[in-house]
Amino acid sequence: MAKLAEAAKGFDQFKAAVARNDLSTAKRLLTTLKLKLTELAAPPPVYERTPTSQQELLLAREVLEQAVLLSVRLQDEAAFERNFMQLKTYYTDSRSLLPASKAEALTTGLNLMRLLVQNRIAEFHTELEVLPAEAHASRDVQHAELLERWLMEGAYNKVLAARDSMPDPAYAYLMERLLTTVREEIAGCSERAYDSLSVADARKLMLFASDQEATAFAEERGWEVKGGRVFFTGMEASTDAAELPSKELISHALTYARELERIV
Amino acid sequence: MAKTKEGEAAKKAAAEAAAKPPDEPPPPPLTPTEQLRANTELLEKALDAEILAEYVRGALPAALPAALPSRSTLLAHLSKAEEDMEMDAPAPSGAAAENGTAPVGLLPEVEAYAFLLVVTFLVDRKRYAEAKEVATAALKRLGEYNRRTLDGLAARIYFYFSWTHECTGTLSEIRSLLLALHRTAVLRHDEYGQETLLNLLLRNYLHYNLYDQAEKLRSKAQRPEMARSTPQLCRYLLYLGRIRAIQLEYTDAKDCLQQAARKAPAGALGFRLAVAKWLALVRLLLGEVPEYGELTAQGLAAPLAPYLALAQAVRSGDLTAFQHVAETHGGTFAADKTGNLVARLRHNVICAGLRRINLAYSRISLQDVAAKLGLASVEDTECIVAKAIRDGGIEATLDHAARTMSSRETADVYATPEPAAAFHARVAFCLDIHNEAVRAMRFEAGANKKELETAESARQRAIDEEELAKELEEEDGVL
Repeated sequence: MAKLAEAAKGFDQFKAAVARNDLSTAKRLLTTLKLKLTELAAPPPVYERTPTSQQELLLAREVLEQAVLLSVRLQDEAAFERNFMQLKTYYTDSRSLLPASKAEALTTGLNLMRLLVQNRIAEFHTELEVLPAEAHASRDVQHAELLERWLMEGAYNKVLAARDSMPDPAYAYLMERLLTTVREEIAGCSERAYDSLSVADARKLMLFASDQEATAFAEERGWEVKGGRVFFTGMEASTDAAELPSKELISHALTYARELERIV
Repeated sequence: MAKTKEGEAAKKAAAEAAAKPPDEPPPPPLTPTEQLRANTELLEKALDAEILAEYVRGALPAALPAALPSRSTLLAHLSKAEEDMEMDAPAPSGAAAENGTAPVGLLPEVEAYAFLLVVTFLVDRKRYAEAKEVATAALKRLGEYNRRTLDGLAARIYFYFSWTHECTGTLSEIRSLLLALHRTAVLRHDEYGQETLLNLLLRNYLHYNLYDQAEKLRSKAQRPEMARSTPQLCRYLLYLGRIRAIQLEYTDAKDCLQQAARKAPAGALGFRLAVAKWLALVRLLLGEVPEYGELTAQGLAAPLAPYLALAQAVRSGDLTAFQHVAETHGGTFAADKTGNLVARLRHNVICAGLRRINLAYSRISLQDVAAKLGLASVEDTECIVAKAIRDGGIEATLDHAARTMSSRETADVYATPEPAAAFHARVAFCLDIHNEAVRAMRFEAGANKKELETAESARQRAIDEEELAKELEEEDGVL
């Protein structure tokens, strides 16, 4: 009991620190808070049935949810992943023991976004499969699902437009990260699809604030800027000069020889 | 009375089947377990509760204290089943009937077999709750032995144990028990058990869509080098194919599912259906078109109809038709757990449509492309086309100012490394088949030796004949 009260007090302090926007204190408090949680008996993996097990589990879940949100604000993706992994068991294995959490949709959506940003598409889909039907209906998850579909299709302009329709301000950091990825993608597509583009169009396509920025980006990627137009000439030469993949051919031939020898 | 005689005959047959497999060796070398299974299948049709009870009483004599609990559980369950079916046979009265004829050293295999018979009997009659109890009791009993001769039977009992739990919806509860059993099986080099239990665990995880855990277990778990039973291998391949498909590794998934489809016995309709569904989707996702015959095979055509419609929509690149199919058959896809895969197909539909347009028109405005594909706006279309060009789906260029897409001269395919790559893929496939076939060949333990002996005797005979001929010649010479 005493331990639970102590942990609850620590959580209040932590929440106060977050509310004050004192993130470094919050981070420090969180570490001690997590240590205190390990002393409780009810949270996984022990699952001991104590009279206060319900409160203990609820507290632990809330702490971890806050931890996830804090790590997003701190822009610490590794900590995010760790915290979410710890939290996940409360949404799966202990689901039947607890009432549904309000923050579940948000944290799940954030996690999906993180996987998208880190380009871990396989894990993204694995996570999608685990989600129950009601989670699929939530706005956060649908948002992430749509983003993934647009990215796969190539409808990048929709992804860029989605910046204004975020379900929660907590997504801001991840959306910014996604934007950089998308810009790279658009650049990659453009240099193959267009012969040339006017600087103004390029700026609009890749969402730069000014023409200068666009020109700087073009030079970074080795495009030629001449008379207000961007020429993607550099790419042409490298793709046309198709050379013979001699090393590959040799290794194939050697494999055939070895295998045939084994048969005969 | 006539009934009891009949029962006794069946009992004897069952006992014989249990005690010793028939002597004459069938052409393909069957393991004793497989023989037993084949015999059991024949017997099962003739079995009813009474006969089984008789058999149990005969096989597990009351005098043996160790077998007593199993005996009474089995009999109790059988008598219950019997009463429910309103048969007029008297309830078995337990130990009173026979006492002294206990064979010296009852084989645990016979007991396990009795358990297996009763479990299959109960499962056949859809009495899952009771079958679950019996299977649990059997598992407890099996835990007391460590005999390699029991492995085959134990594996079957594990399977039914998990199956009854699946039918009663309590699959998640037995996960840790299965994991413990798998660990034991690995430590004891029980290859039947390892294979079966690994499959059961994968099935268990996939039942709850836990692809992550399933893949982690699969990649870490030790698998016997050579598959002991083809059905288990087929199942493993299906589960692996499903995991790979979810992880977007479609080529691997296709390989696994294709092998599973080839190795599956023709009679296993349900299994072939599941494989066909996943295979069709994976092929579509790879940009291939599944063969018409595959989706309309005998007995599979009706349940596969949604997938056939899907394949047609994807092939024609018609986005509205695709959405229509996805909506009308949404329930089916969700039940098959393929809903998310179907959602991924949207991209393929667009690609297929674009390719057709690209082939047909040398120059077309993006407005028309959007209209033909059923896309919402020109901006979307421009981005989508740009990505398709980068991914190599189509050969075209865009003109941003004029808002048109114009096809490039199609390059001569034979000037590219494409044919070489296709050739290599085929050669690799053939070599792989050969290696698999060599590995799959099984030899009977003594077969090699016997042949050698005959060769030796043949040589001996040849020598004898030669000597004889020489002698004859000499005789000729003398004369």
